[in-house]
Amino acid sequence: MALSLTVNGQHYSLDVELDTPLLWVLRDELNLKGTKFGCGAGLCGACTVHVNGQPTRSCSTPVEYLDGAEITTIEGLSENGELHPLQKAWVAEGVPQCGYCQSGQIMTAAHLLANTPSPSRDEIVTAMSGNLCRCGTYSRIVAAVESVVDGVGHYEPEQGGA
Amino acid sequence: MTMNRRDFMKVSTAASGSLVLAVSLPGCSTIKTGFEEETGQWSPDIWLELTTNDEIFFTLARVEMGQGTYTGLTTLVAEELDVDPARIKVKFAPVAPEYRNPLFGLQLTGGSTSVASSWKPLREAGASARQMLVMAAARVWKVDAADCTTQDGRVVHPNGIDSLRYGQLVELADKEVIRGDVALKPRSEWKYIGRKGGRLDTEAKVTGKAGYGIDVELPGMVYAVMTRCPRYGGKATGFNRSDVMAWPGVLDAFITERGVAVVADRYWRARKAQEALNVEWDFAEAIDLDNDQVFEGYREAANEDAGAQERSDGDFDDAVENASRVVEAEYEQPYLDHAAMEPMNATAWYRDGAMEVWAPTQAPDLARIAAARHSSLSPSNVTVHTTFLGGGFGRRLTQDYVEEVAIVAYKVKKPVKLIWSREEDVRHGFWRPAMLHRMKASFKDSELTGWDHQIVGPQILDWYVRNAAPAQYPWAPQFLYSTLGRVGLMAEGVATPKDISAIEGAIGYPYQVENVSVRHTHTDPGVPITWWRSVGYSHNGFAVETFMDELAHEAGEDPLLFRRKLLANEPRHRAVLDRAAERAGWGTPLAEGRARGIALFKSFGTYVAQVVEASIENGEIKVHKVTCSVDCGQVVNPRVVEDQISGGILFGLSAALFGEISFKNGEVQQSNFHDSRVLRTHEVPEVLVDIVDSDIEPTGVGEPGVPPVIPALGNALFALTGKRQRKLPLTAG
Ligand code: FES
Ligand code: FES
Repeated sequence: MALSLTVNGQHYSLDVELDTPLLWVLRDELNLKGTKFGCGAGLCGACTVHVNGQPTRSCSTPVEYLDGAEITTIEGLSENGELHPLQKAWVAEGVPQCGYCQSGQIMTAAHLLANTPSPSRDEIVTAMSGNLCRCGTYSRIVAAVESVVDGVGHYEPEQGGA
Repeated sequence: MTMNRRDFMKVSTAASGSLVLAVSLPGCSTIKTGFEEETGQWSPDIWLELTTNDEIFFTLARVEMGQGTYTGLTTLVAEELDVDPARIKVKFAPVAPEYRNPLFGLQLTGGSTSVASSWKPLREAGASARQMLVMAAARVWKVDAADCTTQDGRVVHPNGIDSLRYGQLVELADKEVIRGDVALKPRSEWKYIGRKGGRLDTEAKVTGKAGYGIDVELPGMVYAVMTRCPRYGGKATGFNRSDVMAWPGVLDAFITERGVAVVADRYWRARKAQEALNVEWDFAEAIDLDNDQVFEGYREAANEDAGAQERSDGDFDDAVENASRVVEAEYEQPYLDHAAMEPMNATAWYRDGAMEVWAPTQAPDLARIAAARHSSLSPSNVTVHTTFLGGGFGRRLTQDYVEEVAIVAYKVKKPVKLIWSREEDVRHGFWRPAMLHRMKASFKDSELTGWDHQIVGPQILDWYVRNAAPAQYPWAPQFLYSTLGRVGLMAEGVATPKDISAIEGAIGYPYQVENVSVRHTHTDPGVPITWWRSVGYSHNGFAVETFMDELAHEAGEDPLLFRRKLLANEPRHRAVLDRAAERAGWGTPLAEGRARGIALFKSFGTYVAQVVEASIENGEIKVHKVTCSVDCGQVVNPRVVEDQISGGILFGLSAALFGEISFKNGEVQQSNFHDSRVLRTHEVPEVLVDIVDSDIEPTGVGEPGVPPVIPALGNALFALTGKRQRKLPLTAG
C-alpha cells in the first residue's frame, strides 16, 4: 500500500510494508542515515525524530500510523545551510565523542526548547534522560543546551524547524 | 615483491599495552609517494598529501571511535607542518603494512596507544614536509632556507614580506632531499599541541553526516541477519528453510559456521523472516554453565594451582610467618559487556575473485583475515574500508561480525550489509572476563610487610590465538593454523610473547612493601572474551585498590595517608593522589549521609587518582562527585583528555553499578538496555578532571579513567555503611 509522508518538508509516496518501523524507512528507503539504530526497543533514543512536532522513537513506530505525518530528522534541523542553534552549541561545546547518539540527543533537545524556551537544569536533565550516551558526553550535552538558553535568554524556534 | 622472513614474525615489546603479540602480515607497499602531475598532488610520505590548490590531506591510521584520534593525530602533523589542523582533510587509512601500530605490529587501535605511538612519527612527517617546502622556496628566492619561516600554509621570505603558498611549492618540494634529522619545534613554539582546540569531526557528527559502518550504502545492496546459537559453541544442523523462504523479500537462507543467515532485499523483511526460523542446534561443543559455576570453578582452580609466579619481591611466606596479623579477602568480578551504541555490523561485496569489506573495526588487517577465513580467498584478496565507529571499547578488536558478513557475501555474490540487533549484541558478545582475586597481606605491628595477589581466570590471548592466529601465517595451509598459532613465535629464536592481560596492573603494584607476590592461576570456563576498555587493569584495579583500603582500615589509618607513606619512591603516583585528595577536600566534613572513597591506579603509562563522593538514597547508590587527577605526560588536546577521562569514569561507574553478563545453562540472561544498564544523564555525578602539566612523552587517556573509579566508589560505600562489598556490581543493600 502506498504511504504518504512529509520528511524534512519533502513529500514522499512510499510502497513499504506497514509494520516497518519508521527508522528503516528513513534510513533505507529515503537514505537519511543521520537517524541511528541503537536498541530497536525504545530504550536508547538514538533513533529520535519529530513526528508532527513530537519526539518519537522511530525504531518502535511502525509507519502504519504515520500516513500523512510530518517528520523532521537531524538532516532537516538545519535551515538554508545554517546550523540549528543547538547544533552550533554542540560544536562550540565540543559535545560528540563517537557521535553515534548525538542525532537523537539533538532532536530530543530541540523538542524541549521548542516547547520550553527557558528550561531549568533539572528540566533539561529530565528531558534528556531517555537518551543514552555510552561515551558519557552527558555533562557537555547539558552545558550545550544551557548555552543556547543563556545565549538568547529565550529560545525561539524558527518557522517549520523544530 | 620481495619479502623478508622477518616480515612474518616479529615480536614487539609493548610499552604498556595489553596486546603483546606482534603479528606481521606479508605485503609490500601500495602507497605511492612523490608528485603526480596529473592531479597536482604531492605525497611527501605515507601520511600527507598536499595539492597545488592548497588542499592538505592526512591519512589517519588509528580509527576514530570517540577517543579523538581524528583530532589528536591531525594536530600532531599540523603542528609541525605549520597549518591550522582545521584546514586538514582527514582520510581513513587503507590496510597497508606502513600503517601498522608499531607497538603491536598490527594495524590496530587499542591499548590507549594512538598518541604515544604517533607522537614522534607524525610530528616528523609534518616537519619533513614543511622542511622540503621551505627548501624549495629558498631555492626559488636564492636565499638560505634557515632564514625562511612558515606561517599557516605559507613559506615566508627572510624579508618578512614575500611569501609562497605551500600549493605553489609542492612540485618543487618533491625534488628536495633532507639530509640528516629533521628538527622538531620546541615546546615553546607550539601553536596547536596543548591547546583546547575543537574536534575536527564535530560538525559531521551533529548534522548526521558522519558515516558509520551501519550507514554504508551500495548499489543493489541486500540485508542479512544471523541467528546464532543461544549457547556459545553450538552449531546449526538444520532449519525450516522453506518456511523462511516463503516470507516476502527473502532471497536466501542458509547455515553458516556462525549460525543461520537470512538474506532479504530489506532489513526489516530479513528480521521478520528470521522470527519464523526454527533451528536445530548441535550443543555438543556448546557452553553449559551458570554464573555460580564460573566462580566455583575458579575457586577450585585456585585451590589446586597456586598459579604462575608473576612477581616476587622478598619472601611473602616469610613475611606471613613473622607477621603479627594476616588479612585475607576474595573478590568476584563478572563478565562485562561493551555496549557500544552502534551495534555490530559490517558490509561486504564479493565479486571478480575479490572481497571488499566496509566495517567499523578497530583492527582492519585482522578484518581481512576474518573475511578470508571461510572462503578460498587469501587475506590479500580482501580490501577493508574503515568508517567512523559508534564506540569500540575493545569489542571491535574481535572480528566475528566481519567474518559473518564475509561468509554471507561470498555466498550471495551481492553487496550485503549484516546488522546485529541490540539483543544479539548483548547476547553474543566477547566479554571482559569474569575474574576471581584472592588477596592476602601481612602486618608486623603497624607496618605492611607482605602482599600476595592471586589472580584467577582466563587470558585474552588464548582467544586471540583461537580466532585470529591465522593472521600470523597467511601463507600456511588452513589446517595448520591452530598448531602454528600455539607454537607462536618461537621460531627464529624470538621469545614467545607473554600475555599480560590477566595480570597487568597487578604486577605493577606500586606501593613500597618488602615482600610482594603476584600469581596467576590460569583457568578458562570457555566463555568468549576480548579486550574491554582498560582490560586487565579494570579488574586488577578493583582488587588492588579495594584491598589497600581494607588494609588501611585494618591498620586504623586514613586510606589516603596509608597509601601516601608507601609511595615515597613514586613521585608521579603521589602527586596525582595528593592533587585529587586536595581538590576533593579529603578529610573535610561532608553533608549528612555522604562519604568519600579514594583510589589510585596507573594504567597504560598514565597515573590516575580519584575521589568519589557517594550516598545511598531511597535504596539506591547515588554518586555525587568524582574528583580526578591525571598525569598522562604531555597533553595534545586538553579537551580530548578531559572527555576521555570523564568518559572513562562514567564507563567505570556503569560497570560498578550495573555491569554484569550472567549465564544460565550457558545462555546469557541479559538482552537490551533495560536489563544491561548503562548510566543515564540524571545518574551522572559532577566530574572534575585535573590534568598535571608535564612535558614527559605522552601516554594514553582512552582507558586509564576507568580502573580507579570502581574501587573508589566501593571504598566510599564502605566508609558510608561499614560493610565491605567484595563482589561486583555494587549494591545499596
Ligand atoms: S533505537 Fe530507538 S530507542 Fe534505541
Ligand atoms: S557520543 Fe558516543 S554514544 Fe554518545
